[in-house]
This record gives sequence, structure tokens and C-alpha cells, in this order.
Amino acid sequence: MLEREITISNRLGLHARASAKLVQALHGFEASASIACRGKEVNAKSIMGVMMLAAGPGTAVTLRTDGPEAEQAMQAMLDLFERKFDEGE
Amino acid sequence: MTVGVLLMTHESMGHALVGAARHVLGRLPLPVDVQEVAADADPEQMLRMAAAQARELDCGAGVLVLSDLYGATPCNIARRLPDLGVRMHCVSGLNLPMLLRVLNYPEQSLDELAQTAASGGRGGIVVDNP
Repeated sequence: MLEREITISNRLGLHARASAKLVQALHGFEASASIACRGKEVNAKSIMGVMMLAAGPGTAVTLRTDGPEAEQAMQAMLDLFERKFDEGE
Repeated sequence: MTVGVLLMTHESMGHALVGAARHVLGRLPLPVDVQEVAADADPEQMLRMAAAQARELDCGAGVLVLSDLYGATPCNIARRLPDLGVRMHCVSGLNLPMLLRVLNYPEQSLDELAQTAASGGRGGIVVDNP
């Protein structure tokens, strides 16, 4: 299992569209993926799961992936966080 | 082969929810249509229109009807659709979490998607602890 810490840096945090982009970025990878913060861990492939974190900007989250394509799935998540979900801010 | 989704709601509800889903998701991964039933609408005419919409949406996997209020006219019309040969499940209590969750599982069968809709709608209700 892979695990990385990252701080949410886009202006609106893990809001609805960002959650949808995360789920879409993970779609098709043969890997399980989760996000954890404040003692709560959710399936990163589920929009409603990700939204339930209600994670705003500045929140530190732990990303976890597991399975045959765990590395690619982790990279896809990290890229999206680092690109601030392509929100141009 | 994917399920079609038909929203049957009171006025101005269905289109607003689809608009919000488009805002969140961009492209919708399932065929979606809306019928908003006006207060003075003729239920028989609405039923015929809904059946036509459902047939258009059905690619062979059936139609998931999402209605906003169980026991209200839009829902009561929806529940008569099987009499007109429409293969469907109707899930009531439509909210945005329900719609988003359905659209997040486009590969599911009609039976699975009905359960997904119900759990999405319930799970989207959260009471924040102060």
C-alpha cells in the first residue's frame, strides 16, 4: 500500500467539482484509493464519499492506494492536487 | 448497455438538479431526461409523455425514474409506467447527492442503480455536530 500526505491548496478545497475530477482521474485504474483526514477515511473513487470529508483549503489529507496500479493511481491523485484541480488559481 | 435516467418532479425541480449535476460533472455519463409536472397538468397526458420519454431513454437496460416526493402526483404518474410496458424502478426522495451518486456508477444494472440511488440520497443527509 502507498501512502502520501498532501495539503489541499486550491481556493475552494475538495468541493463538488474537484471531487468529481478526482473520481474521474482515478477511474479505470486497477487500484483502491482512499483519502483520510480528521480521523475519517473515504473511498476516493466515490464522489459522495470524497464530498463527505468536507475538506476545505489548507486541510492536510492522507492519500492511500493499493493494488496492481497503485503507483499510477497515486500519481494521478498527486498531479491533480498539485495542479489545484485545474481551477486556474 | 446503460440505464436511462428519468427525473419526474414538481415544477422547476428536475431541470435545476440536472443543471447542478452538469456543473459538477461536466458531461453526464448516462442519458438523462426530465419531466416536470405542473400543478394544473393532465395526469393522463403526462403519463403518455413520460412513457414516450422512457422509451427514448431505454437502450435495453431499463429506466431509473427518480421522483422528488413519494405519493405526490409526479411519483404517482411514474409508478404507472410499467402498465405501459416501461421496464423501470422508481426511487423517490430525489436530491442532488442521489443524482450525483447514480451518475457516478453508470456501469451498474437497473436493480443495482436503484439501490445506489437510495443509499446516495440517504447518505447525503448530514447533521453537522456543532
